[in-house]
Amino acid sequence: MAYALKRIGYAVLIMFLASLVTFAALRIAPGSAVTAILDPARTPPDVIERYKEELGLNLPIWQQYLHYMSGVLRGDFGTSLFDRRPVIDLIAEAAMYTVVLALAAFVLAFGLGVPAGVLSALHRGSWFDRIVRWFTSALMSIPNFVLALLLVAILGVKWKLLPVSGASAPINLVLPAIVLAADPWSLTTRVTRTAVVEQLGADFTRTLRARGVSRQSIHWRHVLRNALSPVVSLGSVQIRTLLGYTLIVEVIFRWPGLGSQLVQAILKRDYPVASALALLLALVVVIASTVGDLLLRAVDPRIRSSKEVVA
Amino acid sequence: MATNLASMAVEAPASRRARRRIGGVTISAWVGVVTLAVAAIAGLIVLLVPSLRHLWTAQDLRSTFLGPLSPGHPLGTDNLGRDLLWRTLAGLGVSAGVGVGVALLAVSLGLMVGIIGGFFGRAADVATNVVIDVTWAFPAILLAVLFAGWLGPGLLTVVLALALTEWAGFSRIIRGEVLSLRERDYVSAARVLGRGRVAISLRHFVPNLMPVTMVLAVYFVAVAIVAEAGLSFLGLGAQPPMPSLGSALAQGRDYLTRTWWPVILAGGVLTLTVLLLNSVSDQLREHFDPRIGRRR
Repeated sequence: MAYALKRIGYAVLIMFLASLVTFAALRIAPGSAVTAILDPARTPPDVIERYKEELGLNLPIWQQYLHYMSGVLRGDFGTSLFDRRPVIDLIAEAAMYTVVLALAAFVLAFGLGVPAGVLSALHRGSWFDRIVRWFTSALMSIPNFVLALLLVAILGVKWKLLPVSGASAPINLVLPAIVLAADPWSLTTRVTRTAVVEQLGADFTRTLRARGVSRQSIHWRHVLRNALSPVVSLGSVQIRTLLGYTLIVEVIFRWPGLGSQLVQAILKRDYPVASALALLLALVVVIASTVGDLLLRAVDPRIRSSKEVVA
Repeated sequence: MATNLASMAVEAPASRRARRRIGGVTISAWVGVVTLAVAAIAGLIVLLVPSLRHLWTAQDLRSTFLGPLSPGHPLGTDNLGRDLLWRTLAGLGVSAGVGVGVALLAVSLGLMVGIIGGFFGRAADVATNVVIDVTWAFPAILLAVLFAGWLGPGLLTVVLALALTEWAGFSRIIRGEVLSLRERDYVSAARVLGRGRVAISLRHFVPNLMPVTMVLAVYFVAVAIVAEAGLSFLGLGAQPPMPSLGSALAQGRDYLTRTWWPVILAGGVLTLTVLLLNSVSDQLREHFDPRIGRRR
């Protein structure tokens, strides 16, 4: 319990620093909020000054930060420089799409990856194992946007089986989810396979076998349980990777989620939107890694006794 | 590839076939030398081509979308009739430049921070860990995209952004290695002799960390090449008319209904490059740590 509190405190510290980063991103950005709206060459200086005052840009930087954070905590991320709408509305619109896409990919990656890895390990050297290993290494070498273009070309343009852009119907989810899941699926399968193989060769497995414990019982009660912890710790890392990949995948498939919104915001230099999205993604990643760490200690008692890096 | 790299090591056990000699030199050593020479020539060409601007900017709107093996254009042309062989080579050159740049920066930064975290006391350890965790809070591509927003799109931005995200994971690994290295007797001996921490780091840690550094540096080159292509694909990396495999893919996507060739070409070259670099990294790892090789 004490560990859990420490870990959560640490997560809060990381989030605070991450918010400093996104705040700085907002301020350092070339073309401040003022010059993005008013042309400095044509606007009289006193108008610019007045506007700065209105936005609170003449205050000391720490007061600006406090102002920014008090807004953020109330869900006010400012307004988009582009269409003057509240950033929070834009995020709310897009968030659902990204959550659905990322969840679908996560379920695909783990739902198919863990069984594939376990089967592959239990039947090491079989044709299934060989196919899985070949397939995973192929998928891990193809950059996901290349895979996306190939699938679009074959399934979308040539055979016209699946829609390749937009989010008008549930079937639009299929291609982006597959592309997003491809890399995490390969990694999950690999890690699961390695973990299970390692446990199958462990001393305790040999002892159990020598004592006449049935194969089924060894596999399901002992090996899989012990192989769980690397898979769990992979899960929280995967969320970060998935969120990173959504940027590219959403753009390719014109999926109207947070990723394509972020890329749009950056290309249009809409800093309030960009920094709000960055902060939001950072929050998700920090929460995921905290939950992952806590979960890991729950499933693997060995970690509890080992020394922590921080805290 | 395994034999080539193994042959470069003095004490690597050579197979019986490899021990046969031609002109007093073993076959495997010959293979190694030839591979290195070919790689060096290929690297030179690839790094040279981006400066030969006229080759990859020449347009010919009368011969657009030519397929491979067309007269005068062995790999065909793109939507503006530009030669795809030159554009692909130049794109590879850009990739290689970005990859090496990122790897050098990320490795130097990661080595420094990792050694500081592992050897310069508890406060330094906690501080470096916090910095790493903050870096890790942002997905790598997101940081790169944010950077592109700050500095404006371009290759320099890409290099900086990728280096400033990739170093973190490397640094964690280095810290772990340093934790075990610092318990060695020669480190205690050096401390007893009154050597400072910086001196010990440079004299003892850095050379001992070289194997893992080299393995990961090659891996970073591959990661950076893919990330550069991804950012250029999004329009945040190389700006036209600068050739890049990523922008070639983005362009190819717009004409997918007409021809697949440019996408297949750029995607294939990118995938093969990554595959090659990953296998070099794997071979290096096996070479430095024979335990990993045998376990398979």
